[in-house]
Amino acid sequence: MKKLRQHITFKSISGIVLLLLVFSVIISVIGNHGFTDALLNQYSDNAFHTARIAAVVVDGDRIDEYWESGGETEAYRSVWESLTRLCNSSGATFVYVIEPDRTDYAHIRFLFSTINQNSHYSLYDFGYLRETTNDEYRVKYRALYEGESDQELVVRDKGYIETDPHITAMIPLKNSGGEVVGILCVQQQLDILLQARNTYLRRVVIAFFSLALFVVIGQSLYLHRALLHPLKQISEEATRFSRENVMADKKLQDTVRSRDEIGQLAASIDHMEEQIDLYIDNITRVTAEKERIGAELSLATRIQTAMLPHVFPPFPDRKEFDIYASMNPAKEIGGDFYDFFLIDDDHLCLVVADVSGKGIPAALFMMASKIILQSCAMLDKSPAEILKKTNEAICSNNQEEMFVTVWVGIMEVSTGKITAANAGHEYPVLQKTPNGKFELIKDKHGFVIGGMPETEYTEYELQMEPGTKIFLYTDGVPEATDEGNNLFGVERMLKALNEATDQTPIEVLQTVRASVDSFVNDAEQFDDLTMLCVEYKGKGSD
Amino acid sequence: MLKVNRTVENEKVEISLEGELDTVTAPEFEAELREVISGATSLVLDLEKLEYISSAGLRVLLIAQKAMNQQGEMKVVHVNDSIMDIFEVTGFSEILTIE
Repeated sequence: MKKLRQHITFKSISGIVLLLLVFSVIISVIGNHGFTDALLNQYSDNAFHTARIAAVVVDGDRIDEYWESGGETEAYRSVWESLTRLCNSSGATFVYVIEPDRTDYAHIRFLFSTINQNSHYSLYDFGYLRETTNDEYRVKYRALYEGESDQELVVRDKGYIETDPHITAMIPLKNSGGEVVGILCVQQQLDILLQARNTYLRRVVIAFFSLALFVVIGQSLYLHRALLHPLKQISEEATRFSRENVMADKKLQDTVRSRDEIGQLAASIDHMEEQIDLYIDNITRVTAEKERIGAELSLATRIQTAMLPHVFPPFPDRKEFDIYASMNPAKEIGGDFYDFFLIDDDHLCLVVADVSGKGIPAALFMMASKIILQSCAMLDKSPAEILKKTNEAICSNNQEEMFVTVWVGIMEVSTGKITAANAGHEYPVLQKTPNGKFELIKDKHGFVIGGMPETEYTEYELQMEPGTKIFLYTDGVPEATDEGNNLFGVERMLKALNEATDQTPIEVLQTVRASVDSFVNDAEQFDDLTMLCVEYKGKGSD
Repeated sequence: MLKVNRTVENEKVEISLEGELDTVTAPEFEAELREVISGATSLVLDLEKLEYISSAGLRVLLIAQKAMNQQGEMKVVHVNDSIMDIFEVTGFSEILTIE
């Protein structure tokens, strides 16, 4: 934050100072020009005025006489004194009369030369001959002599090594015949102009620095008060909120108290905090709810699992058969189930079923189906009748059109004969000879339970020899899918089973399970996996 | 994934399904179907491109069949072998009119 503050202040102030600087330079240049022009005009007017007065003093008709006087005659002295007085009183530096050589105007000769008493320059003697200092003079001398103009001005305001900045006003000196006989020059130093100009520039510089100082201090204070301090408060509040996740006692917009964009930012942060706060509350509530549902689901799963026979061996004192079954729901709770129970001493009822759909609805439907099936089974020893009655019971109260596929078989323990009926369920797999091959029994199918009222079911018989096994399952087994979306399939299931022809029911289930797991690998499973295997050992075996 | 194409002409509805009708896609299709067949007297389901149907999908067919029993007729056409196997195992082949 410290660094940012310096950065913003520096940028803002340096921008303004730069602007001020540019402004000052422009003002100086414009002012300087205006000043120079105005003063030069004034100066040149003065100088020409002085020159015209001087022209009255010097008589053009007597020029030759002056030249011949050698600067000694009374008449010459009188004119010279008048010019000197004029020079002193007009404030001019020099007032002089010259005659250039008329061939190329490269030299001038001084006829009269007077100097201001306050000047530190010295006079040119009478008849002094010197070179014209530059071409501008030469051109202008010629212009005056040839009648092209009757006044010329030379401005040398930039400052020269040999002379200070000055202007020279020049007018032709004529005789009564109108002939140019000399040039009257009035030179005026520009010292006042320079002084004024320097004063002006100094003031601009002082004004610039005062303004810059004012801007630096003022802008720093303003930035601190209007921008940086509120920003710091906002930043601190944001940091605090992200750390504590609790809304502040005092709203940021009340602390910042600004109606500009900073105020809007503060209001936005306040609003964000409120929303996040609400969101956190919401999430907390939803999470709690989710946890509650999760806890209930796991309890429901335990209840559901407990409904199925899950203690193995289930009938420790019955040596005629060996049963093992397992159910692995894909979600926490599933719609598959298996069941087995003794209707009487000689009749073992086996059930494998699969409810349409999954999750809680399927589980609820499964519970109802299981209870109705068992109740019907206890009343009747005919699987077809059991299915028919179960179907009627479920159809009478099935608004959601749920259904369940059921394979039910009743084994006569004394003979190994199974009477079975199939309501839309997977084909059972039977081992016909001890340690022999498992084969799919393509039995006659009836419609699913809960689908249509008044459905009739047909039953059939299977004969189990001692040492053979029957394997029942739900579609979760053949329809287990791998990552490539390929189905495990009945063929792979049979292959796995045939690797386990001599195994006990629990081993058979483990073998099939291992085969499915290695096929599925890491793919997520969508269906329940339910299997039931019974080995018939025969009446005499112990 | 399930793609549902439907054409509705007066009271005749034709729906063709493409993809998988399983636990994930069935609820949405069920809602759509219930809406489409209300008032329809003829429903034709084209299953030529249906790759898989789960018990949840069968349930939707059962709902459709029961609804159409009340108000008209329903036919299932172009059933491929794998879907036909499922219909036969579950007994749906007996309650559906398959052509």
